[in-house]
Amino acid sequence: MQLPSSFAAQSYVANRSATAPGSDPSASSYFSALANDFATTLRQSDETAMAAMLGGTDPHTLVQSLAQTELAVETAVTVRNKVVEAYQELLRMPV
Amino acid sequence: MTVFSDALKVSTSGMRAQAERLRYVSENIANADTPGYRRKLVSFEEELGRDQTPGAVSTGPVSLDQTSLDRIYDPTNPLSDESGYFDGSNVNLLIEVADAREASRSYEANLKIFEQVRQMSSALMDLLRK
Repeated sequence: MQLPSSFAAQSYVANRSATAPGSDPSASSYFSALANDFATTLRQSDETAMAAMLGGTDPHTLVQSLAQTELAVETAVTVRNKVVEAYQELLRMPV
Repeated sequence: MTVFSDALKVSTSGMRAQAERLRYVSENIANADTPGYRRKLVSFEEELGRDQTPGAVSTGPVSLDQTSLDRIYDPTNPLSDESGYFDGSNVNLLIEVADAREASRSYEANLKIFEQVRQMSSALMDLLRK
């Protein structure tokens, strides 16, 4: 059976919308909240380190907030690596 | 992440409380020869406030040991009364050293938990790294 090329073009156009990025507001707000949370953790550890050096807080608070920041940075870096890896996987896809 | 960070916070509060306890023990030992000194007792209480981590520990108000003071015989001391005795402190060094050792062991336990939590969280992240 011979398919007209216009049919293929039409179905391509019809299905094209499926590949368009969806405008899901929850995902973007989730990621921005995550980034804000991360920034807050970093800022807090910065402040705690400064206060500890000036004698304001005890070393326990310093160690705790640094460990927490380490945890947050580790998580962020791992997730970023995973995202970059997925993107590269897409780039390698034969078209 | 909240579970791990809460565990870190709670074990940190334990370490801080034990350090506070050791501080009062050192105060007692330093004042072992002070006339009229009563040894200080530290109480521990769970934090229940809204802005605090539930389950964390903190040191409560300090109380004074009400056992009788040591009567020391030294007629040459200006503090001594007609019979030649004066009130010493009620610090028992043996008890203080045992208390210090206990504080140090509890501190170590909290330190171990801290380490364990860090190991667990990084092991969890290792899963994503392949």
